[in-house]
Amino acid sequence: MQEQILIQSKIEKGDFTRGGEVSSSLKDILRKLGVPSDTSRRVTIVTYELEMNIIIHSLGGEITVLISSEQIKVIAEDQGPGIPDVEQAFQPGYSTADDFVRGMGFGAGMGLNNVKHYSDQLTVETGQGKKSKFIASVYF
Amino acid sequence: MKKHSVLLKEELCEGCTNCVKNCPTKAIRVHNGKAMIRDELCIDCAECIRICAYHAKHSQTAEIADVSSYKYPIALVPPSFYGQFKGLNPARVRVALYELGFKEVIDVSLAAEALSRKTSEFLASNPGIYISSSCPVVVRLIKILYPELTGHLIPFKAPTDAMGEKARKDAIAKGVAPEDIGVFLLTPCPGKNTNIFDPVGIENSPIDKTIAVTQAYQAVLAALEKTQDVAEEDLPVPYLGLGWGQSGGEVQLLHEQVQDYSLSVSGIHRVRALLNELSRNNIKGVRYFELSACEFGCVGGVFNVVNPFQARSDLRRLRAKGKTMIEQNEGYDFDLPGKFEPLQIGRLDGDLEKAMEKLTQLEEEIAVLPGLDCAACGAPDCKTLAEDIVTGVASRTDCIFLLRKQMGDLAETLSALLYELPPVMKKEKTDGKVG
Repeated sequence: MQEQILIQSKIEKGDFTRGGEVSSSLKDILRKLGVPSDTSRRVTIVTYELEMNIIIHSLGGEITVLISSEQIKVIAEDQGPGIPDVEQAFQPGYSTADDFVRGMGFGAGMGLNNVKHYSDQLTVETGQGKKSKFIASVYF
Repeated sequence: MKKHSVLLKEELCEGCTNCVKNCPTKAIRVHNGKAMIRDELCIDCAECIRICAYHAKHSQTAEIADVSSYKYPIALVPPSFYGQFKGLNPARVRVALYELGFKEVIDVSLAAEALSRKTSEFLASNPGIYISSSCPVVVRLIKILYPELTGHLIPFKAPTDAMGEKARKDAIAKGVAPEDIGVFLLTPCPGKNTNIFDPVGIENSPIDKTIAVTQAYQAVLAALEKTQDVAEEDLPVPYLGLGWGQSGGEVQLLHEQVQDYSLSVSGIHRVRALLNELSRNNIKGVRYFELSACEFGCVGGVFNVVNPFQARSDLRRLRAKGKTMIEQNEGYDFDLPGKFEPLQIGRLDGDLEKAMEKLTQLEEEIAVLPGLDCAACGAPDCKTLAEDIVTGVASRTDCIFLLRKQMGDLAETLSALLYELPPVMKKEKTDGKVG
């Protein structure tokens, strides 16, 4: 099967009220497609974390989820400001979230760690002052 | 085979769509003016029974009169049942049940206490997140809408099932002929009734019949009139286990260390909200979830007579009389024979590629529909109608707005046609002169 778009959605900076909407819709779509529940769960978690990452840390961005016969691919692109030290960002517990965000129960420093944990392959393009692009794949 | 216990009295149904919109699994559609249930999606949460102003949705169980159809009838009394008698001594209520013809009257609370001990032990030696599997409606909800979470359901039988098995086994050990035994559960909800023909996690239900509290209530009151009070030491009451009759009671009986990492949530819509968060891994620091489909737990079941606020308050007072658990551990078999398996329901197509095509069609239909979620088409919202259209069980003209638009377009075409003259009338007007 050719790679096709499952869902594509713009995400605003700081838009907590819509946080989780993309992953919720996606979960529903995956159920309708009959995607195995374990695959669905991993894709949902990865999407949720990337969605929240854009809301909390970026200037806004977009999530695109693609499906093919072999995998489901989650692409998260944002408008910056970029991650200066990627390795550090993936450390469990490392967080740059401010008190407001932490007060809402987010920003515990597990987000990117979860993305890595639940995806089979992950590539990150970023850097200080740059736009970031995450491509996370979950194989069937 | 019958898959659920909620039924429709067609003659009472007005086709109002209140139940359609309130159904957590979107299992109801109004067809030909009647709210029909899609069997495979119904989890027997009874939300439709609660919301129906015309009392068209209902459920049936056995009655007290059916007790005499068995030579050795056994009553299983769930904790919530004692919330129905203004805090009356549970032993006294049991005496009344004997009066109604039961040969044995057994408190499910005993099994609840035993299961609490087992759950604490299990959580101490098994890392990970677990969800109580005691509410059958929650188990069915997870199997249908949250298949990815089925692995988190704790692999134990519900206290009612474990108690039913033990009661039957004990009776046989006493020399009672198996065919004479009739195990009755005084059920607060249709969900437990469904267990008889569609049990969760086990092959065959140990329970033969359920009797709704509504069916038993007056008979029990009459029997209370006829019987005398009983000394507590003659019929010990598992007071702490009675806590299971309301939300939070299960967690309260776990080891203290586990309690700190447990959460109780009740009411099907709130349970859904919680499961949404759980499925995106967004609840941290909780290891055990006690989930009840009914608000306030079993005292909120639709078959109860006394309102859930009163029942909860009375049950809480009874529970407070408990000092220690009755350590009855022998004879229970809580372990499930297998794992809980997810159900694949709601797929657009069995083939991924075809399902993708239908998904594209689905998006096209959603774009065409007005998005008002008015439910006048009989489906709960526009997205669900779109799904019904794509799967071939509904059509666009079921939407009154699209139908109206089509009629408008048709009227326009008609009126345009009206001014189109037939060829014979299309001659140029002449001034009457000939050639």
